Amino acid sequence: MTNKQQKYDVGDFAMFFGPAHPGSGNFSVKVEMRGERVLKATADPGYLHRGFEKLMEYRDPMQNSVLSDRVCVLEPLQWNLVHAEAVDNLMEYDVPERAKYIRVILAELSRIQSHFIWYAVMSLGTGFMTGFNVAMGYRDYILDVFNMITGGRVYPAGYICPGGVRKDLPEKAEKKILAVLDKVDYMRKFASTENLAWMARFKDIGVLTKEEAIKYGATGPILRGCGVAADVRRDDPYEIYDQLDFNIPVYDEGDAFHRFRIGLEEIEESMKIITQAVDRLPKGEVRTPNLKPTVQFRKAKGETYVRNELSRGEGAFYMVATGEKTPYRVKIRGPSFSHMIPILERLLTGVDYADLPAIYWSLYQCPADVDR
Amino acid sequence: MKIGPVKEVFKNLFKKPMTVMFPQEVVEIPERNRGEHHLDIDECISCGACARICPNRAIMMVEVPPELKEKYPKTYPQVDLGKCCFCALCEDVCPKGAITLTTYFFLATFEKDTTIKEPIIIE
Amino acid sequence: MTAIEQEKKTDIVEKLSSELDASVVLKTDRRLWVTIDSSKVVDTCLKAQQMGFEHLSTISAVDWLEEGRFELVYHLWSYKYNSLLSIKTKIDRNKPSISSINSIWDTYAETCERECHELFGIDFKGNSNLTPLFLEDWKGPPPFLKDFNWREYTLKELYDEENPREKAYFEVKK
Repeated sequence: MTNKQQKYDVGDFAMFFGPAHPGSGNFSVKVEMRGERVLKATADPGYLHRGFEKLMEYRDPMQNSVLSDRVCVLEPLQWNLVHAEAVDNLMEYDVPERAKYIRVILAELSRIQSHFIWYAVMSLGTGFMTGFNVAMGYRDYILDVFNMITGGRVYPAGYICPGGVRKDLPEKAEKKILAVLDKVDYMRKFASTENLAWMARFKDIGVLTKEEAIKYGATGPILRGCGVAADVRRDDPYEIYDQLDFNIPVYDEGDAFHRFRIGLEEIEESMKIITQAVDRLPKGEVRTPNLKPTVQFRKAKGETYVRNELSRGEGAFYMVATGEKTPYRVKIRGPSFSHMIPILERLLTGVDYADLPAIYWSLYQCPADVDR
Repeated sequence: MKIGPVKEVFKNLFKKPMTVMFPQEVVEIPERNRGEHHLDIDECISCGACARICPNRAIMMVEVPPELKEKYPKTYPQVDLGKCCFCALCEDVCPKGAITLTTYFFLATFEKDTTIKEPIIIE
Repeated sequence: MTAIEQEKKTDIVEKLSSELDASVVLKTDRRLWVTIDSSKVVDTCLKAQQMGFEHLSTISAVDWLEEGRFELVYHLWSYKYNSLLSIKTKIDRNKPSISSINSIWDTYAETCERECHELFGIDFKGNSNLTPLFLEDWKGPPPFLKDFNWREYTLKELYDEENPREKAYFEVKK
């Protein structure tokens, strides 16, 4: 006891932010503090490790597409899309045009609802419960559309599957998608109002420079918040993104407030994409013809690396096939992997403890895709 | 004072709430909602495709109780709803359309053994 | 694709090939693949980074059991050329060891290497922080190796054949 007191300063202590903390998700950050100041932060992932990469080696692609929604709770449809594209690439499927449009519409709706959760958790982290409730409430309208189209509110269970989508859009789906955009627009305006409490909590907090962002592997809104205009949808177009017209919002400040501003402006761009895609939606098949419910993976050989722009950054699948029924190796690159470990540790060094939730949530983490 | 917030308050006063009073009112469940399974045992040809594709091994091919064995001599899918992830792959793969997912979703239970859904229930 | 873009692409391939001293292959649009010797990995990554491949997307490992080698793949993205360069290298499976690239991508590369170390048992020379990342109190071999069968492991360690709910898992194994 006496030794300990000699070794440390009276004001020095270590604290755990998470995993039992209400505002941290299944993730833990160990912070060493001196008084109110954080000296060193160590991220501790692993509370959600389910070993998807290994699991996928034991299952065939159709079963994997059901599994792929579970990579991240916040954007299951987008993970579905990345997985389906990886298999399409290996099998050289010609995805029908209509299926591509449906995939993009659903991925963009998924991006919007994911950004709503971002607003919700940022409000929760800073004690603004109204924001949390309103955002989660409006997200539900989008979930209703998902339920109508995919059959599940949160998990589509492989709706976007190798070779297209599993079912065609139901009747009047286009009308309902456009109707839900009105609700989205209301929520977007609600979130963009100048909120003084938010400004005080997020402005000039957790500043990340451009060089650091590139070095530590930042992607998505985090990178665009630092002044790098990079978007996988434009730079490495997949599906039909090269035919659509949308902007990429960029801010130079790199602080928590502007990172979230990017998210809000992306909602607007996503709405633009959805209206365009619904307008041009062609008629025809939604799944590669002559494809059975089970995908025959046996003749696929080779490797592929597919990148997609998820709501939180770059998500990628590296898939190796050797002509067996199941993939030989799958590697999933989640966007939060770089945001939550190196960048979070870097940003938390030397800040006040009160700013910790603000920085933590402005990086928009999802522990599920760190651990996989 | 800004007029905006006051306007918002009045607008919200007369707005319908987002939630519904549950037991009396129910949110409309879409047709595609993946809920409890339904097996049309007369259609089933015991091919076992559903048991093979199930990602969670929730489906097992079992024999029916002895009283009904004469009428249904083969094995039929038994679904363990406790393991099921409601992906509806069994519905897609079924060649006869015997197994379907209904919209019924009130499946919460206190007993672990009651999650198993036998292919046929004797009255 | 316009003719200018096409020209630019072949340009990159040639430039990269001469710069990295290895043959770079353009397999599909915006996907470049190169295979190098494991001793040159830091050198090649540094040159690629200086050429504009600044973003390390991820490091992945593949266990080729029959060949007895690990394959490490470094995926680098260039914001300048809008191309992905995948650097592949093979190392011995019995003594898996390779130099760390933490001098280039700092803690991010270190974290990726930590993952590979934990899941495949690959040793990265020069990386001081190889503490376990995901697995806690794990006593078994590195779980992502091809000769580690987790199905058998979990059946033996965690499941009970007597339990009717877990019986299905035992039956499929047979």
